Amino acid sequence: MFKELDPILHSQLRLAVMSLLISVKQAEFIFIKEKTNATAGNLSVQVQKLKEAGYIDVIKEFKDNYPNTSCKITKKGIAAFEEYVKTLQEYLQVKQP
Amino acid sequence: MEQQKELTEEESLKLISRTIYEAKGYFHESGVAVIIYGFSIFICSILSYLTDKAIITFPFQPFYLFIPVFFVQSYVQVKEEKKKKAKTFTDEAIDFVWTGFFISVLVAFTAIFAGIHYIAISIILILAGLAAFLTGILSKFRYHIITSFLCWLLASVSFFIQNANIYLLLAAVAVLLWIVPGFILNAVFKKQQHG
Repeated sequence: MFKELDPILHSQLRLAVMSLLISVKQAEFIFIKEKTNATAGNLSVQVQKLKEAGYIDVIKEFKDNYPNTSCKITKKGIAAFEEYVKTLQEYLQVKQP
Repeated sequence: MEQQKELTEEESLKLISRTIYEAKGYFHESGVAVIIYGFSIFICSILSYLTDKAIITFPFQPFYLFIPVFFVQSYVQVKEEKKKKAKTFTDEAIDFVWTGFFISVLVAFTAIFAGIHYIAISIILILAGLAAFLTGILSKFRYHIITSFLCWLLASVSFFIQNANIYLLLAAVAVLLWIVPGFILNAVFKKQQHG
């Protein structure tokens, strides 16, 4: 019996955001937007969902007198991401002949 | 990127690998701070050599010139850090390596007060080799790995040159370890900005 894939992570944009954040210590919203080719509106919605799930922290601060948003993965987010990858690998192992 | 696009397991894994690869490749370093640092060490070394050889007279130990330069270099570094859109784990590890190096250099300078200042230069050369080696390994920058071995070789040679000539070795290390890589970084950075 397979475990179900985490529905929070099993979405293209949210998975891309989490994959980015697992590779860096912290990233600005603009960096995530550039790397994922997402629109600001869509990205904001998905970032909010990840934040509500406790997978990322959203840091709002001022940089050169302008508001700046950065994101950082949490311990819970790392655990969820690792679990997601593990489950994916289990699926793929069974699929292969 | 569509919000609700369904992914197959294969697509998910591909997306993860591609994104991680892209994020790890992020690089934002103009090399200006490194160039300032390199030229300062180079000039201080040459002035120290000329002073010790009594070719010129200098009102104080030339390395004291490094104090204001340190603040200028730190200011440039902080400005550059602010421009970064993401902080990678590699950046952080390299920062720790060089912070450790600077603290060790300050400790090594106590040898000067003990009246054995040429040995301090030998120690600094060993530490510079170590910092360059770790930087090269962490950033996968082969140039730094090769120059770290050259630096260690010069450090070994320096134990046999405990006189004013040791400053020439330090000047050579400044060129190898900071000035040349600084210009390489700057060229890559400019290319990236225009590309």
